[in-house]
Amino acid sequence: MDEFQEILQDFLVESFELIEQLDQDLVELESRPDDLELLNGIFRVAHTIKGASSFLNFDVLTHLTHHMEDVLNKARHGELSITADVMDVILESIDLMKTLLAKIRDTSEDSGVEVEDCVRRLDQVSGGGKIEAPVVKEAPIQEATKEEVAEDVAQLEEEAEAEEEIDYENLSEAEIEAEIERLLAKRQAEDKAKREAKQNAGESVPTPPPAPKEEAKEAPQEKPKEQPKPAPSAAVVPAKPKAAAHDDEDEDAKAAAPAKRGAATVEQTIRVDVKRLDHLMNLIGELVLAKNRLIKINDDVEERYEGEEFLEELTQVVSIVSLVTTDLQIAVMKTRMLPIGKVFNKFPRMIRDLARELNKKMELEISGEETELDKSIVEEIGDPLVHIIRNSCDHGVEMPADRIANGKSEAGTIGLKAYNEGNAIVIQITDDGKGLDAEMLKMKSLEKGIITEKEAEMMTDKDAFNLIFKPGFSTAAVVTNVSGRGVGMDVVKTNIEKLNGIIDIDSEVGVGTSIKLKIPLTLAIIQALLVGVQEEHYAIPLASVLETVRISVDEIYTVENRSVMRLRDEVLSLVHIGDIFEVKRVLDSSEYTYVVVLGLGSSKLGLIVDTLIGQEEIVIKSLGEYLKGIEGIAGATIRGDGGVTLIVDVAALMQMAKGVKSTALIEDASASHAKEKTKPSDYVIMIVDDSKTDRTIMRKSLEPLGVTTVEAADGQEALNILKQGDHQFDAMLIDIEMPRMDGYTLAMEIKKYNKYKNLPLIAVTSRTSKSDRMRGVESGMVEYITKPYSADYLASVVQRNVNFKAEFL
Amino acid sequence: MSDKLKQVINQQSKKNEVDTINVNDVVQLVGFIIGDEEYAVPILSIQEIIKPIEWTRVPQTPAYVLGVFNLRGSVIPLIDLRLKFGLKAKKHNEETRFFVLKQGDDVAGFVIDRLTMALRIKRSNIGPAPETMAGDESLIDGVGKQEDRILTILKVNKLLERDF
Repeated sequence: MDEFQEILQDFLVESFELIEQLDQDLVELESRPDDLELLNGIFRVAHTIKGASSFLNFDVLTHLTHHMEDVLNKARHGELSITADVMDVILESIDLMKTLLAKIRDTSEDSGVEVEDCVRRLDQVSGGGKIEAPVVKEAPIQEATKEEVAEDVAQLEEEAEAEEEIDYENLSEAEIEAEIERLLAKRQAEDKAKREAKQNAGESVPTPPPAPKEEAKEAPQEKPKEQPKPAPSAAVVPAKPKAAAHDDEDEDAKAAAPAKRGAATVEQTIRVDVKRLDHLMNLIGELVLAKNRLIKINDDVEERYEGEEFLEELTQVVSIVSLVTTDLQIAVMKTRMLPIGKVFNKFPRMIRDLARELNKKMELEISGEETELDKSIVEEIGDPLVHIIRNSCDHGVEMPADRIANGKSEAGTIGLKAYNEGNAIVIQITDDGKGLDAEMLKMKSLEKGIITEKEAEMMTDKDAFNLIFKPGFSTAAVVTNVSGRGVGMDVVKTNIEKLNGIIDIDSEVGVGTSIKLKIPLTLAIIQALLVGVQEEHYAIPLASVLETVRISVDEIYTVENRSVMRLRDEVLSLVHIGDIFEVKRVLDSSEYTYVVVLGLGSSKLGLIVDTLIGQEEIVIKSLGEYLKGIEGIAGATIRGDGGVTLIVDVAALMQMAKGVKSTALIEDASASHAKEKTKPSDYVIMIVDDSKTDRTIMRKSLEPLGVTTVEAADGQEALNILKQGDHQFDAMLIDIEMPRMDGYTLAMEIKKYNKYKNLPLIAVTSRTSKSDRMRGVESGMVEYITKPYSADYLASVVQRNVNFKAEFL
Repeated sequence: MSDKLKQVINQQSKKNEVDTINVNDVVQLVGFIIGDEEYAVPILSIQEIIKPIEWTRVPQTPAYVLGVFNLRGSVIPLIDLRLKFGLKAKKHNEETRFFVLKQGDDVAGFVIDRLTMALRIKRSNIGPAPETMAGDESLIDGVGKQEDRILTILKVNKLLERDF
């Protein structure tokens, strides 16, 4: 059974691939009915499927393909011209074939699908319009009588013998063609004879059930071919019809495309379960994160052990690891790439069906189908494209009469083009139809209450075009089979945005419409620009960053409550990232600031950030069910230090920017109003020193004043205590030489915060040189006490700096 | 000697019996404190309990959503139950813990003031939520009593449900 399953699997994979090709070929055939090569190819597909399915005992499928083959064969010999009607029947039969194959895939059986109707029509077509007597449900072969079976076998054997006698290799193309014709004619004659015999038999004896048994007894060898039931003796004979079928196929192949066969053998591929690739991709994602972390650690180590010999070696290893990781990532990404042709393939057929349904004439021009992109995107892109193309066919392309009246060619052209642009792929759908009328779109939206009158006034044409993506929007007067429900284009927008893609519409009334979809090559790993605002970091996808500029605050102008700046010869509207993400302003703002110029389609926006951190490869992780759909956030990533950084959703951010007022640039004047001191212990002094003895001496010195003291063993700890905000400090006594963070660094860190601008920092140190004192002043210290000092001196300095009230003394 | 042995065996089997009864109508919970109240969730809904680590603020969320944190490569939301229950924020201290709860694919971390203990409560000792607090929207699943303690048992699925 396992072996059978294996064969079945191969059969299914092969069949689906063949059918995919078939659809396209058939549509092409309609436009070039005389192309013999194309016909031969199509015939071969039908034939291959028929041969294999009969071997696997799928009788319904065999029955159907057999009749298809009849029609195609006639066409091949010029006995039948391929008209649109004929094509309709053939396409219908192919759809049915797909249904059958899907059924086989799901249930391993092909029963339960009604094919007779279609078979009858196929027969009608092949019979030149004459209606044959209705075919009985079961295939003719099954009901053949004993005599016929014998005859049949005899013939078959004869055929096989005949085939053995001829050396096909030495035949010319014409001879082969003749030979095929001869064999097929023979087979058709057989079929006809059988059908007649069956009809006769059907009239007199309606196939008695014991007959097969009898047959089995008398002619056990023939049984497998005639009966769907598997039998132990099946092994020998079934090979025959298959062999015959294969011979036919081989001949065809040789006759039609000898070159192609050569090419097929060279190709070396291996089928891999997608799950394995997905797993591999996830692992690479983790590896990239680990690599980022390694690079960060390397930087830290470099800083700390500058000049050491082992450093060079470490740096080398780290750079090799990072290089290999990047290559590996690209390699894995490539294995997941599929040509977009896979998606494009189904459109010729769709356009054809739509053209007939809508009574329009349309042509599809496809280019760039070899452009590759990630499998997951290929899967997601199909639906949006279907909606866009349906829309173009239904609303874009005019009726043939209108087109001629407007001086256009009768047939409308739909263009489908794919190409690479940087780190993204662009899919462009164009039509030469009537185009979008911006005014009309606004009117319709107003009617449906999608926009307000004021919004309509403010809208540019481009904004108006984008209205077609609003849910509930439809310009169609009636809902047709094809479109008009106002759902489709909304689906397009959501799906494309899910892929981090961008949609750009351009249109001109009377000339046509062009829709561009710009989609990143892969979803999982992207290049990002990391920016800082206050103490927070955000990642901006690099694909949307046009440039970064450093400007002084004076260069920002305010126009109608909105910030703008002049960038070369254009005016760029600005928004502070802190205003969008409600960032608390705790750090002092500097005189200079950075602007990240974001570009999306044709719109631009300047995003003001406090710092630029750098470019990094990031792995996109979702925020999960609980936090999904947060406006302006596309996801999160894990950074080298193990922290989480949020990824900015540039499209959403541009939308949000429209509603944000600029506040971040205005200084927060409300300084922390200190509480009135009512007793000496209301004064809080922090003592920062790594030596416990020194801390104790300082504490003892301050005890007489009665102030509260808090101690910290190094700069880092002091900063943490300060940030926690448990105490409102009035002054800090800081030692200079400390582990982890020294006094100067601490002072500089503290002075970054707006609210600690006026906090007196007093250096207490044994460093006495002038340069030390200078550094102290530079870092923001107000006093410099050198060790050793007297207790009274320390107390008096503190008193002076905290404005210690005299009455407490 | 053999008598003693028998006694021991008897005692053991008795103990086993008690245990088997317990397994069927006992609920295993983990208790924790938020503010002045003791709460509990079923032990099986807890993925892990960790000490506080750094997290990243997420904008456009209610105050009780502190942000997201990195749990061995997964990005997980962090919710402060004090704020969610309308209490004032409190600085994290030595006893603060992140409770990582999981149900199906939904995972989230919850900040609690202090852990108490894992405990077993007989089903018969768990009463329904007070009528004013009952209903589908309520976070409270029931009220457990053990000795002199009263525990509010929370619905994990409600905790993990986004309500903004």
